[in-house]
Amino acid sequence: MEDYDVRSAASILASVKEQEARFEQLTRALEEERRNVNLQLERANLPPNPPTSQPLPWQQVVMQEQSPSNATSLAMMQEPQEVVEETVTIEEDPGTPTSHVSVVTSDDGTTRRTETKGISANVKVTKMVKTVTTRTVRQVPLGPDGLPLPEGTSPLGSYTDSIDRRYLKNGSDRFITPQATSTLTRSYNNSYNDSYGETPESQYIRHYGLHDGYTDLTDNYGSLSRGVNYRPPRYPYMPNSYRPENSYTLPIRKDDYGHVAQPQVPMGSSTVDLNHSQPERFQPEPYGLEDDRRSLGPEEEEPYELEPDYSTANRRTLPGANRGRTHREPLRDGPRVRGYPDDPIEAELIDERHPYIHGMYSAPLAQPERGSMASLDRMGGRRSPSIDSIRKDPRWRDPDLPEVIAMLGHPIDPVKSNAAAYLQHLCYENDKIKKDVRQLKGIPVLVGLLDHPKSEVHRKACGALRNISYGKDNDNKVAIKNCDGIPALIRLLRKTNDMEVRELITGTLWNLSSYEPLKMVIINHGLQTLTNEVIIPHSGWEHEPNEDSKPRDAEWTTVFKNTSGCLRNVSSDGAEARRRLRECEGLVDALLHALQSAVGKKDMDNKSVENCVCIMRNLSYHVHKEVPGAEKYQDPSALQAPGSAGPQRKKKDDAGCFGGKKAKEEWFNQGRKNGENDKSYDTLDLPKRTEPSKGFELLYQPEVVRLYLSLLTESQNYNTLEAAAGALQNLSAGQWTWSSYIRATVRKEKGLPILVELLRSDSDKVVRAVAIALRNLSIDRRNKDLIGSYAMRDLVSNLPSGQQRPAKNLEEDTVVAILNTIHEIVTDSSENARSLIQAQAIEKLVAINRTSQSARETKAASHVLQTVWSYKELRNALAKDGWNKSHFQLTVTATPKATKNGKPGYDDTTLPLMEKNQDGYSTIDQRDKDCKYKTGDGSVDLTEREPLKMFTFSIARHSDNERSVRNDTNRKHYIRSNRPAVSLVDACDVKPQPVDSWV
Amino acid sequence: MSFVPGQPVTAVVERVEIQKLRQGENLILGFSIGGGIDQDPGQNPFSEDKSDKGIYVTRISPKGPADLAGLKMGDKIMQVNGWDMTMVTHDQARKKLTKKREDVVRLLVTRKSLEEAVKHSKCSYPKH
Repeated sequence: MEDYDVRSAASILASVKEQEARFEQLTRALEEERRNVNLQLERANLPPNPPTSQPLPWQQVVMQEQSPSNATSLAMMQEPQEVVEETVTIEEDPGTPTSHVSVVTSDDGTTRRTETKGISANVKVTKMVKTVTTRTVRQVPLGPDGLPLPEGTSPLGSYTDSIDRRYLKNGSDRFITPQATSTLTRSYNNSYNDSYGETPESQYIRHYGLHDGYTDLTDNYGSLSRGVNYRPPRYPYMPNSYRPENSYTLPIRKDDYGHVAQPQVPMGSSTVDLNHSQPERFQPEPYGLEDDRRSLGPEEEEPYELEPDYSTANRRTLPGANRGRTHREPLRDGPRVRGYPDDPIEAELIDERHPYIHGMYSAPLAQPERGSMASLDRMGGRRSPSIDSIRKDPRWRDPDLPEVIAMLGHPIDPVKSNAAAYLQHLCYENDKIKKDVRQLKGIPVLVGLLDHPKSEVHRKACGALRNISYGKDNDNKVAIKNCDGIPALIRLLRKTNDMEVRELITGTLWNLSSYEPLKMVIINHGLQTLTNEVIIPHSGWEHEPNEDSKPRDAEWTTVFKNTSGCLRNVSSDGAEARRRLRECEGLVDALLHALQSAVGKKDMDNKSVENCVCIMRNLSYHVHKEVPGAEKYQDPSALQAPGSAGPQRKKKDDAGCFGGKKAKEEWFNQGRKNGENDKSYDTLDLPKRTEPSKGFELLYQPEVVRLYLSLLTESQNYNTLEAAAGALQNLSAGQWTWSSYIRATVRKEKGLPILVELLRSDSDKVVRAVAIALRNLSIDRRNKDLIGSYAMRDLVSNLPSGQQRPAKNLEEDTVVAILNTIHEIVTDSSENARSLIQAQAIEKLVAINRTSQSARETKAASHVLQTVWSYKELRNALAKDGWNKSHFQLTVTATPKATKNGKPGYDDTTLPLMEKNQDGYSTIDQRDKDCKYKTGDGSVDLTEREPLKMFTFSIARHSDNERSVRNDTNRKHYIRSNRPAVSLVDACDVKPQPVDSWV
Repeated sequence: MSFVPGQPVTAVVERVEIQKLRQGENLILGFSIGGGIDQDPGQNPFSEDKSDKGIYVTRISPKGPADLAGLKMGDKIMQVNGWDMTMVTHDQARKKLTKKREDVVRLLVTRKSLEEAVKHSKCSYPKH
């Protein structure tokens, strides 16, 4: 404004007068032109479908230009379309009737892109189009009054016609003054360069839809500009401030504004438009020339545009400059505004600019917007030079958290999405901020945005939620749940086809699923949707396979990985969860299909496979008890045998992985009693099926054995190995018909050697799972014999030996599991006991019995020893090796209950095992194992730089679900789920800990 | 010594082998530990980064086995007999150290003086 002041009134007056004179001339010419154009347009309207193809070679375009009718018709066609570009070309055409026009275009083409000499007008147009997104147009609809309508539909359609015409007129106006035009165009080209790629025509394009004009601005500036625009109250003041400076300093700007404003012009007849357009140009004069120029366009601006400064300055920058000035002199502007009222267009123009300018500096609300801009910038979003410059402005600062959260509720969508994205970024790896967001009640707002129709908004909101949901703070997860975030996520999953959004949704759900109390909620709201939307399609399974086509392979997408991880977590939530998953239509089928596809492709080490196998294992747990109709399959021999069960053993009825010891005993004894059972093992007659099994029945069909064995053979992923072995363990437990088939099938499929081989695994948990599986398999008599002969050495070699360091450091649980398996094998089989002795196991067992610090290990070892000692036929051999009865008795510490009747205490032995099994298998993630597992090689040399690899801990839960916007890497950081539940060892370890303990 | 869980850690470590000493019923190592993922890392007086939940040597009994072996107060225990100690609960660590059937424990420890001796590069992850 200072500039303005400086100018003397006289000079202004003079210039105004000059201008006026010029204008008058121009107007006359314009009027004529308009009439011409209108006529042409009218004609053009008549032909329904003129040449349609958009990509016209340059020459063609020129031709069209010369024949106005064609051009116009083209334009008409295209107008209705949303694509702005096309319209633009059209508009040019009408203006082009004069020879200048063609010149102009050619100029543009050459100046802009030297490579493409023969660029057609269309090409240029398309460039411009890029800047103008139709979408945005809709976002920022303007009401007839020129005020933006928050969510309303865009008036575009309604006013297109009239506007176009108007433009045409304007265009014609410009062209009327030939010299001016030519120069103008050039200047434009220079100034806008490639970045804008917009010639005056392009600007017209924008006008075409008012919104377009907006969109440009908004895009560049980010949410700021839009936000500003929307504040109705400010509008009145804006115009004043804006104008004065514009006129003097930044001609280009005017253009922008002018253009923007034009579209706003209420739809009316062409005559109305004419009226408006005229007043626009002329009225401004008294106040400032700028306005006129902008509307008139090129001619007057020439001088300014040619200046290098302006050339670099895009429109975007210009507004910035304007603001600066504007805000200084608000008062002055005010009065002028009032002067305008009679001219609607002017008012509109003012309004539009006004908010824009205003928002940046003077509006208190401007801060949030800045924030959003800042976030935009930081995120590496599109950056225009103007934004950078804005950022450098010291007045800009990062918004604080409450501001960001407040912006989530901003009426303007881009502000929301930017705020959400910024929030996601802030939350990345920052538990404090997550907590703050929660306490500031940001989570419900984010959840609310999930239902937002704009993909940009719900995507960013979902990203923020994913990061927030990640980590140890379960309160964050609960907060998401409490505002119905889970159903909202599921809803969005159903709605969206955007892969990225789906990844975010499923990642968030995966995170949420790690918290015990949320598991059932996820099942209730999302199980079927997750299955239908993700698991089934990505698994390649088809409900009704097309016989002609090959079965599809599974796709290991991130979405699938996330979803399977989520289901893996929820599948550990107990019997009800298992039931729901088993009965979820298509889930088991799809998982099996995916695994089979993995085996077929030899691609078995990835996380998705791991997740699938873990789900399968969990669903296999207690299948013999929990599956509907399981009673039918209870093994008849087991049921009828109770009385005949070895009376020497007292069993408690104990629900465990064996489905009750009693039953197991029955099985066992029966197998022993009836040697003929063996035959039936080899000729399995499976229950007759009238139709192919499906759904949960697939879990325990003997066919799955081969699948698990393939995984056990091929996979390098310890978690997968453990889960596959666990699945076999679960399936071979229990006394129903299917488990006996499974046990026999494992043998027939040559699975025993595979399992025995895995006893040598370096992984503790694999060894443990395999050992327990072997124990269950040995319920089958023939399996027992085979295992006794071939597995004994490997089992024994896993046992620790007194002084000597064992080859592997195995967990207590694993040692106990192995001891229990050995016990199972030697029970009722003196042959196996003999091989145990031959495997040099007695020394180890005695050492464990005497020196182990673990009561469970001691007890388990002593049970084995007692069983061995119970075979009188072996005592001689034992004595020869220097053992006597005292070695086979319980040590003092372990005395308590063991052998009451001189027989091995079956109950005691099995108890710990069963406890473990239940927990271990019903829940997937034993974090303990995981964390132990991660240890790299233990031997490291002194003061070497030693990379300790820590990344093995891949707990199904969180893993890599948190991503920052900025570094979009797949880092896994928190390894450890917060969740308390399931780990075996944790159960005993989770007592309150001393802070400091002597060792 | 801080690290980001899930990321490979580069640490300068020293191996310390401690022969346990029998004291009546017990085998002792002669030092005490603090820390663990279930403990408040803010109270650890030895960690540089107060979010480090690793296991640290808090006290050494003079002339005890650990002292003789060269363990120092403030050492961070990275591994015990090959088991990782950077992500364990306090009690898990204690158990690993006090296994009755093991007479010897081999520790990998890291300490500031070692770190300083070797310039290491763990700046690959952003600090938060």
